[in-house]
Formats: sequence, C-alpha cells, structure tokens
Amino acid sequence: MRTEQIGDATASGAALPIELRAISKAFAGIKVVSNVSFDMRPGEVHALMGENGAGKSTLIKIMAGLYQPDEGQIIVNGAVVRFPSPKVAHAAGIATVHQELLLFPELTVAENIFLGQTPKTSLGTIDWTTMRRRARELLDELDSGDLDIDQKVLHLSVGNRQRIEIARALAQDARVLIMDEPTAALAEHDVQRLMSIVRSLRRRGVAIVYVSHRMPEIFALADRVTVLRDGHLVATRPISEVDEPGLVSMMVGRSIDRLYPPKQGTDGEVILELSGVSHRSVVRDIAFKLRRGEILGLAGLVGSGRTETALTIFGITPATQGQILIDGKPVSITSPEAARDLGIAYVPEDRASQGLIRPQTIEENIALANLKRLTRGVFVDAAKVAAEARNAISRFGIRARGPEQPVRQLSGGNQQKVVLGKWLATNPRILIMDEPTRGIDVGAKAEIHLLMRKLAGEGMAILMISSELPEVLGMSDRVLVMNGGRIVGEFDKEHATAEAVGTVMTRSYDKEQAA
Amino acid sequence: MTVAKLFRHETILAILTVIAMIVLASLSDKFFTLDNLLNQGRLMAEVGLISLAMTFVIVTGGIDLSVGSILGLTAILLGVFWHNVGLPLPAAILLAMVCGTFAGWVNGLIITRFSVPPLIATLATLALYRGLAEGISEARSVRGYPEWFFFFGQGEVLGVPFQLWVMGIATLIAAAILGLTPFGRATYAIGANEVAARFSGIRVDATKLWIYTASGFCAALAAVIFVSRVTTTRSDMGTGLELDAITAVVLGGTSIFGGRGTIIGTALGLILIQALKNGLALSGVKGDGTIVVIGLVLIGAILVGALFDRNRGG
Amino acid sequence: MTAAALSPGRSNLHRFLSGYGQEIVVLLSIVALFVVVGAINHRFLSDTNINSIFAGNAYIAIAAIGMSMVIIAGHIDVSVGALIGVIATIAGTLAVSGYPIWVAWTVPILFAIAVNAGVGTLVAYTRIPSIVVTLGMLSILKGGLISATAGEWISNLPPEFMIAQMRPFGIPSAVWFMVALTIIASLFLRYTDFGRSIYAVGGNMEAARAAGINPERTVIGVFALHGLFAGIAGILFATQLQVIQSTVPPNLELTVITASVIGGVSILGGTGTVIGSTLAAILFACIGSALIFLNVSAYWLRAVLGLMILATVLADMARRRRAK
Repeated sequence: MRTEQIGDATASGAALPIELRAISKAFAGIKVVSNVSFDMRPGEVHALMGENGAGKSTLIKIMAGLYQPDEGQIIVNGAVVRFPSPKVAHAAGIATVHQELLLFPELTVAENIFLGQTPKTSLGTIDWTTMRRRARELLDELDSGDLDIDQKVLHLSVGNRQRIEIARALAQDARVLIMDEPTAALAEHDVQRLMSIVRSLRRRGVAIVYVSHRMPEIFALADRVTVLRDGHLVATRPISEVDEPGLVSMMVGRSIDRLYPPKQGTDGEVILELSGVSHRSVVRDIAFKLRRGEILGLAGLVGSGRTETALTIFGITPATQGQILIDGKPVSITSPEAARDLGIAYVPEDRASQGLIRPQTIEENIALANLKRLTRGVFVDAAKVAAEARNAISRFGIRARGPEQPVRQLSGGNQQKVVLGKWLATNPRILIMDEPTRGIDVGAKAEIHLLMRKLAGEGMAILMISSELPEVLGMSDRVLVMNGGRIVGEFDKEHATAEAVGTVMTRSYDKEQAA
Repeated sequence: MTVAKLFRHETILAILTVIAMIVLASLSDKFFTLDNLLNQGRLMAEVGLISLAMTFVIVTGGIDLSVGSILGLTAILLGVFWHNVGLPLPAAILLAMVCGTFAGWVNGLIITRFSVPPLIATLATLALYRGLAEGISEARSVRGYPEWFFFFGQGEVLGVPFQLWVMGIATLIAAAILGLTPFGRATYAIGANEVAARFSGIRVDATKLWIYTASGFCAALAAVIFVSRVTTTRSDMGTGLELDAITAVVLGGTSIFGGRGTIIGTALGLILIQALKNGLALSGVKGDGTIVVIGLVLIGAILVGALFDRNRGG
Repeated sequence: MTAAALSPGRSNLHRFLSGYGQEIVVLLSIVALFVVVGAINHRFLSDTNINSIFAGNAYIAIAAIGMSMVIIAGHIDVSVGALIGVIATIAGTLAVSGYPIWVAWTVPILFAIAVNAGVGTLVAYTRIPSIVVTLGMLSILKGGLISATAGEWISNLPPEFMIAQMRPFGIPSAVWFMVALTIIASLFLRYTDFGRSIYAVGGNMEAARAAGINPERTVIGVFALHGLFAGIAGILFATQLQVIQSTVPPNLELTVITASVIGGVSILGGTGTVIGSTLAAILFACIGSALIFLNVSAYWLRAVLGLMILATVLADMARRRRAK
C-alpha cells in the first residue's frame, strides 16, 4: 500500500512514541486490517477515520495491546516491541480512554485515577495525602479543578468520568493517548471542554490518536488525518491538505450504485406514521411516514437516537410523548409483544445479545417469536416448529446442518438470516432492521440486501438503520438523518449523496438548538 | 444437538442411580424392600414438589432460597387458622395455601419490579417468612388434628402413599409445561438470554412472576402434606429444605446459570439423593451424617457441571 | 446533576454525611434506642444488660467484619454460622483434651482460614456462585458437626481457656477484640493495596483486571481473611459460656449478613465499611434486648431482621437506579 510520508518525522524514527509498520490482522480468515502503516509524533493530534468496519478499532486495539498483529511491527522509540497484554502497552506509555469507561463507581475520583499504582508511605501503606494532592494537581492541569477528588465516581456525568480516565492516563505518564469516539456520548459543553483538554495535552507533548466521525472536531483539533477503508490504508495527510468533502469521499471510496439491487415496484399507502414521538431526552419529537414497499434509511452517528427511535417504535422503551399511527389509527405500543401483534418486527443491532439465544437451536430461535401460532392446544407443535425452521433455512439459504443445529455454530451472516427468519415468520408488515449487515462478509451482505429489496417489492415497509453510509445511500428510497435525538434532514434518492448526508450527520447543532 | 446432550446427562444420572441402588441393596437387605422404597417415596414428596418449581426457577437463571421458610410459614398459618382463629380445617388449609402462594408472588414482585437479584431477594424473605412463622406461633406447636387430615401425609391409594401420587402427577404436569408448552420455551429462553427473549416478544417479567408464585404454591402444598405426615405444626418446619431442593435440581443437570435443565433430571436427582440418604442411614451412618453427603454431592455436581460447560464452550 | 452540584466549595460536613450516611443512621438508631427504651424501662440501662449487649454479641460483630469484606468483594457466605459452631467445638474439645491453651485457640482459627480459602478457591476459579458453594459448605459443616459430636455438650472447660470472660482494665475482652479488630480492619481496608483491591474487584471485576489487579487472588484472600475473623469469633463464642453446645447457633449466618448489609455494605458489592457492620451488629443486639424489656416476644426478632434486610436492599437498589 502506498503510504504518503510527509515531513521528516520518520528520519528521526527514534523520537516517535509509536509507529506501526505494515500491520495486518485477520479474524476467522477475514482480513480486517491489511498492511497498514501508521505513526504518531510527540505532541500531535492524529485523527483516525473510516467507516464502521474499516479497521479503526482493530488498529487501536493492536496499539493498546488487546490484539496481537498477524504481520508487521510495532516500534516504540526506535525499538521493535511486542504488546502481549494491555499492561505491557501501558508500560510503554500507551493509554486508552475507553468508549465504555472502565471505572470503579464506588471509589473516589482520586482512587480511580491512581488504582493499581497508588502512592505509598514509608510503611508501605497507601499515602492518601499524596494521592489526593497529586490527583488535584493532575485535574488542575486538565482544567478540571472543579472536580471533587473525594467524590464517588458513581454520581459523575460521562464528561467528568472521561476527564478522570484522561487524568489516569497522565498519572501513568502516557506518551500516546488513544481516544475512541470521545465525544460520542458527550453533551455540547463537555465537547468544548474536551477539545480544550486535548489541546493542553498536545502542548505537554502527548501524542493523541483521535478516532471520530465528527468533521468539525477533526478540523478543529487534528494535525494529521489517516483514513482507512475496508482494512486498507487510504492515505495519511496533514489536515491543511484536505477538506470535508474530500475526507468523506476518501472514506466512502467505491462507487455505490452498482453494489445494490434496484428498486422493484412502487410505494403503496402509508402504513406507519409517527408524530411528535419522544422518549425522555434521547428521542425527541420524531415525525415521519413509512409507506408499503418503501425502504426508509435512518442515518446518523452512534448515539444520534436512531436505535433509540427503533426501540421506541418496538415498545422496548415506550414513547413518553407523541403518537404512533398504524394504517392511520393511533396505537399504543408498550411492549415488544404488543409491537409484534401489530405487525412490527425488529431485527436488532446486536445479534449476539439481543437477536438470538445462541446456545439454542435454529428451530428454537425461530419459534420464539411465533409461539402462539406454533401451538396446538396447550402444547408447542414440534412438527410445525421444525417445518417452520426448514422453511426458513431453504427460503433464506441458511447454511446449516439442520433445524437442530445451535445457532452459535453458524457464521455471522447465517445467524443474521436466522434472526430475519424468526421475524419474517411472524408475518410482519413493518420491518425495522438495525445494522442489518454489521459483521457479515461481503457475500452474505449482498444476499441480505437482495432479500430486503425483494421484501419491499412484495409490499413490506422497511425502516433501515445503518452506520455504513454506502449502505444507507445504496439501499434507501429515502433517507432521514438523525442528530442529537432529532430528525435533522430528509433526502430523496436523487439528492442523497455521501457529502450531503455526511455533512448533516456530523454537523454540530448547538447553534440551532440555542436558537 | 442440545437435546441429545441433555438426555446424555440424564442417562448417566439414571445409570448412577441404578448403581447406587444396587450398592445400597447389597449393603443392607432392608433397602430394596417395597415397604422401604414406598416409605422413601413418602419422605421424598415434600422436597420433590419444591424441586419441581425450583427447576423452573433455576432454568430462568434465578434461585429461590425462601421455599423452606414458606413451608414453615404455611404450616404455622394452617395451625393458627384452624386452632386459634377457629376456621373449619378445609378452609384453614386453603387459606394457608393462599398465603404461601402469595409469599411466592411477593418474591417474584421484588425480583421483577425492583430488579433485586433473586439470591438477595429470597435470602431476605427467607428470614422474613421464617420470622413471621416464629412470631405468629411463638414456638407453640399445634396438634390434635382430626383423623381425616392425616390422609394427605399418611394415607395410601391403591397401596401407594397418597403424596407419591401427588408428586407423580405434579412431575408429569411440570415436565409437560417445561418441555412442551410455550411457557416452557419462554422459561428456557429467559435463562439463556433474557434480553434476546424480551426482544423476541416474550413476556419476561410475567413469566418470572408466575414461576416464583408457583414456587410459593409448591412449598405451600408441601407444607400441608408435611403437617399431615408429622401430625403437628412447628415454626422450624422445612428449615434447610431449599438446600435439598437446589441440590436435587443441580444434580439433575440443570445449569445454575440458567438456560438448561429438565424435570426428568430433577426427578432422577431426587431419587438418587433420597436413596443415598436412606441407604447410608440403613448402613449405620448417623442421621445427620447424611447432610454432609448432600453438601458434597451438591458441590461435586456443580463442579462437574462447570467443567462440562468449560469443555463445551472450548 | 448531583455531580455538578457537589463542587469543592461544598462543606466537608456534607461530604462526610453523604459518605458515612448509613453508619450515622445506625449509630443514631442505637442512641435513640437506648434513650427511648431506657426511659420506658430503667433496667435496660443497667450495667449487666449493657454488658451482655456488648460482650455477648461482640463475636457477631467480628464475624460481620469478615463477611463485610466478602460482600464488598461481590460474594457472600451463608456457612459462617456453621463454621463458628465447628470452631467452637474444635476449640472446646482441644481444651478439655489437655492440649496447651494456645493450641486450643489457634488451631481452630487456622482450620477456619483453610476451609474458607478452599471455598474462595472454588469460587474464584470455577466461577460457581459463592452462594451455592457456601450452601454446600453449610451442610457439610453442619452435618459433620452433629454427626461427630452427637450433640453432646462440652463442659469442664479450663478457666484459663475462657478468653471471652477475661476483663482487662475492667472491660470484657470480647469488647476489646471487637473494637480493636474493627479499627484494624478499617485501616487495612483503607490503607493497603489489598484492601482497596477488594473494593475494586467488587465494583468492577474486569476494570480491576485491566488495572493490574488479580481478581482470583483477591477473592481467595478475602475468603481466607473472612476465615480469620470467623475463627476469632468462634473462639470468643466458645469461651463466653461455661459449656459449648456443639450445635450450629441458629440464624447466625443471617444475623451476620444482615449486620453487614444494614451497616451500609451494598449486597451488590463494591462499597461499605466495617465500622458500619460493627455498629449494625450492636444495633441488633440492642433490638433483641429491647424487645425483651418492652415485653415484646423475642420470637419476632427474625421477622424484624428479615424486614430490615429487605428494606435496606430495596433502598440500595433505588439508590443505584437514581445514580444511573
């Protein structure tokens, strides 16, 4: 792969706090990172970008010592090293601020910063005075002197917890700090604060790997940007040499339309309508209409409220305000079984924990949402269950030994087909698909796309949520964009371009919200 | 595949039970007599009824430690309603059973509505229900029940103890519900993956509430049989019974982590334990020494189960 | 929102109150109980009664220290009552069999540490829930005890063996033990890495592992420590009366667990102090005694315990839900 080396950084390789050379990593035979080189200079913010599945998280896990690369070298201060565990990576000065913060809720702020390396008195006991003083100093350096170091973390906001994680990294003398989607769960004022912390870290000479989808942050903070796509390195560039549309097209890359099956038939009547639907503060005032035969794409960043909207329609987190209408009639959906009985099916985003009971067999899984129909008298009709499962296996081309194979033994694509089979067996009229092809290989992906088109052609109304922009653009007849729990944009097929949708997705809406 | 595996565990258990019986029969010629076996069946029925419901509880990934206390409380209430309140005995029995069932429902409510872990919730109600039994009875026992009442615990139908019939029928019903009905499917699904079960439209909370209520009902039913068998009510009745029931269920192949288990396995586990207890007693091991065996069997069974799980997972 | 509100300007008093809220509530309850019951019946405040409340229940408080550590680490032990019964019997048997007194004191304690370290090992490495392992252990200890002694009482204990009855500086030694062990355990939990790792493992096991703590070793260590405290409690229990009954004291494990929970140890692990559990053990002893002095049947004591556990657990769940 071509890497565009710039400046003279590599000339004095010994000074680099970390450098990756030609790293490759495969899981179950699928290469998720392929021949990627990446380096960090002291005191720079280096943005790492790419769509979901582009290989970003694998790359940062390799740097953090959570994964070992299959090929390639990791070089720290000019010496080739191996990180067999996160502990070794820590010792080499690499720290991570996790997306799901790994803190101890019942311990104090000071202790969370120092746990595992507490200052000691001459007696070997914990020196609370020193620990508290140093915690205070660290937080002051992060402009977070307002945090009470004696408070339990339990009560702190996400933004404050993040500051503690950063302080923890500083306490470990980290030279490289990996920040994975640090602003995904932050409120706007916390975002501003985080950005000023990142700048002060840079001044101290800490190198920051900044993983984010949000363009404004990237352009405000980053010195360089590296883009990955499908596990390959696209380019590493100084931020001054790229602009927003350029970055988006680097991330999206391939031409979109040829991959996706064309629309069949025409849209029918409106079947689902939401007006003013809200759930607490995560889903706000959602209004849209969904027609029979239509695939409606719901785009947005993680945390923008897409999945939360789906969960509200499906009755997991029932609407606290507003109205849902089916066939023009208002309905009340307070539980998943109520949703199912109204003809709504939901293929959830997390297959392993929400979609399937993995130790159970294909037929048991498929029967689960259809028990009423598959019961004769008071007993489950085993023959009907098996027939239903065999039907799904042949209809969706599930590659399995038979209906009695446990689903955990199936590949990701086949597992997804089992989830689909379970829900299509309920004869739904509205199908919500949340990340329908996440973690699925290319072939199965195409099969699922084809199937979605076919279902829509037969009159199914499909609401699709996806973090992959090409999928949203390629599959959807219409695209809604969510941001901050609200719908902030609507595009029809012709106007839904990567640039247009991407811009609305990543814009920060503080001005509009203030207005 | 899993079905085949479950049966394999039960086959092993059945073989073990047969071996134990043969060994015990050779140790004491009193063991393998019809009288002794029927009598053992009589003694087994109370724990047996509780174990049936406990199987459902553990399959959902929960546990119910309060069953022994519910039994004690129901027994005490039966005596109090009849002796102190002066209700006719049939009404007293019925009302006491309603109270026992209600105690189970309260467990379910604490667990589902307030998300208290079942272990903690039922540990608290274990103390509460036993405490109520002690407080209400003030350590006074009630005796002098009419003759007809002793039929439940001492009577026979067609030469077989009455409670063995009850136990047999209850086992069939429980096996049918767990193995063949939508409710049983929901029970397994909740234990294997509660979130996925909810996302599949299973009424998770309602199912659990029913199961804990049923657990209370079974303990109450066992209480009536117990009182009838021993002809008296005392507040310490059923102390430690939860341990016997959990042991039988776990020995029967039900995973303590939920999602797997069968009624047949539980029944076999019960028989094996009762045979061991009886056989050891007949061979001269003192009464309380058999409790040690139960403890060892419980830990052993779970250890083997954990190793089995690890091999399966790997 | 509480996060933003608790800025450093906020008074230390407020922080102290919120940090030790449960302990303060328990302490005030004890004081209130003494005042109210004492006003109704003066004999409640007599030397003998106060002596029996504190000295007679010190072993429960000491066992609750170990139990608190186990619960803070995210586990539980329902066999502690049986263990104390076994310890007392072993100690008594050794004492009357002519072994040196120090042997009669230390061997049972070592036995308790060994038993619980074994339990801890099973819990840590097989991931079997501690409730199940200790339920099994309960029946092994209980059955073993009864079948070994046939329920015979041990009497004619040598007077120098009766450590609980000694009164250095006029205060029963059991009380000295209770106070000293509570202070030592508090310091241990606060000022040592091992002490803090107990909180870390109970609060977030995976995060603890990521911070370089070995959770398995911590769990085994906690159970072994719990064995030490249970052993000391067993010796005090054995030596407070002239005879040892060779039985498992009824409800003891429940009383101990309840003391821990009421004292502010969250049943879900990760938080709590041993000062709280000691205070709660004293509170129970007061309640038990007060029931007698108020002419309420002592038979209701357990129901009160059950209600108190339930109320505390529900409050704990509500507190956690609010924190989310």
